Amino acid sequence: MTFWLLLTVNSITFGSLLFLLAAGFSLIFGLMRIPNLTHGSLFMLGAYFGATFVGGMLGMMFNFWVAAVMAALLVAAFGAVIERLLLRRLPGQQMAQVLVTLGISFIVADFCLMVWGGDPVAVATPDTLVGSVRLGPMIFPIYRIAVIGIAVVVAIALWLLLDRTRLGAMIRAGVDDPDMARVVGIRVSRLFTIVFALGAGIAAFAGVIGGPILTVYPGLDQYMLPLALVVVILGGSGSLLGSVVGSLIIGVLYNFGQALLPELAYFVLFLPMVLVLLLRPQGLFGRFIP
Amino acid sequence: MATNALELSHIDAYYGDSHVLHDVSFSCGEARLLGLLGRNGAGKSTCMNVTIGLLAPRRGQVSIFGTPVAGLSPEQISAQGVALVPQGRRIFKSLTVRENLVVAAQKPRDGKHAPWTTETVFAMFPRLEERRNQIAAHLSGGEQQMLAIGRALMGNPRVLLMDEPSEGLAPQIVHEVMNTIRKLKESGLSIVLVEQNPTLVFDVADDIVILNTGRVAVVSTPAALQEGNVDLTQHLGVF
Repeated sequence: MTFWLLLTVNSITFGSLLFLLAAGFSLIFGLMRIPNLTHGSLFMLGAYFGATFVGGMLGMMFNFWVAAVMAALLVAAFGAVIERLLLRRLPGQQMAQVLVTLGISFIVADFCLMVWGGDPVAVATPDTLVGSVRLGPMIFPIYRIAVIGIAVVVAIALWLLLDRTRLGAMIRAGVDDPDMARVVGIRVSRLFTIVFALGAGIAAFAGVIGGPILTVYPGLDQYMLPLALVVVILGGSGSLLGSVVGSLIIGVLYNFGQALLPELAYFVLFLPMVLVLLLRPQGLFGRFIP
Repeated sequence: MATNALELSHIDAYYGDSHVLHDVSFSCGEARLLGLLGRNGAGKSTCMNVTIGLLAPRRGQVSIFGTPVAGLSPEQISAQGVALVPQGRRIFKSLTVRENLVVAAQKPRDGKHAPWTTETVFAMFPRLEERRNQIAAHLSGGEQQMLAIGRALMGNPRVLLMDEPSEGLAPQIVHEVMNTIRKLKESGLSIVLVEQNPTLVFDVADDIVILNTGRVAVVSTPAALQEGNVDLTQHLGVF
């Protein structure tokens, strides 16, 4: 019983982390139709930045949350540069976008190897969240519970931004009909840079939040990227609800698969993706067929 | 002579290799309504696209109250006080009625006219207010047309371009739309009304320009045209 409950909590924690990772990917892919293969790298870069700031490698120790926000802002700026200088020149050319973003992910991976080396780097758990809580017969690490809370807060914030603000409505107008949006005075090009930077920033934030659980190591990018892809394909790109549901499904399948059928863990993970692509290619909550 | 609200001079425009506008010049005076007539494919919508910046002319100039705008982006031209009610309405389908209006809001360029807000647009089209939180895709054709007009007004324009606002609407709704256009004209807005149906336009227009295969064929007034000194069927076909 304890085993099942613990596995469930771990699944939800991992799903929460996946949501933080996939939300930005879904935003960029769903709204701008850019298959951003740097997304795993942005996650890893964020995690390394977080480790650096928290660990005092710059001669100064930063608070965990401050470090997370700083990493998010830095990577968001990097994302804005990628969008402005490279992706902007390849509108609608998905194959070229795939190759460019894949190329950047290799550059980022090598950059990280050069700066942080090949050994795993740990991100310290924030002091206030160290330890465990006891619930009946079970013991849960506080931090894992906190990750769930953070994902909920980010999900609500994103929903409010996209669904309840004028900026969000302008972004959606730009997706519905870019030319018409420009005709009514919306600066669509600037909005898309903001969306890309936002997606990149959330990925980096997720990297820092995931740091204490995953630790950071070379290859983390290529470990996370397929998971984000599976979540978005399953949930449907551009749909926040799709990201939430997709993340939870993948979180459960991944954890239960590894615990119960370790030899088939990846099969269990990708099977639903294949089924969704066959039966409902736009994903469970998606608006368009990629 | 006062500056014209909108002036196209010697416009040549192409879609790829096909030459669609040949040395097109016409103008719309301040607070006047210009009816732009012509058959399908005569170049009426292309004139609108050139004016709003969706298509850059290869030669010629477009001026808004004397300010040259040819070659500027749509968002820059929109900031000059030009709004478009496009052919096919092109409302933002996944947005609510209210969001369609809010995203297009711009401050007026001068304090002369009472600015359009969601409230004043809703006052003009009460049916939109009843549906303010509905997704725009679920509106009827007539309601979508009202929304497209309301959205254009939210930009508080000086020049309003309307591309076939009666297209595909029931006669009763067409009547309402024409009444709205009349009211807007009385409020001092300069309007270019593109239509295929001349009888609709003759009712409201001060001036008429007829395009034929990408060239200006006739510049006249409704009164003169109704006297019958131009063979309309030659330019407009049977109606």
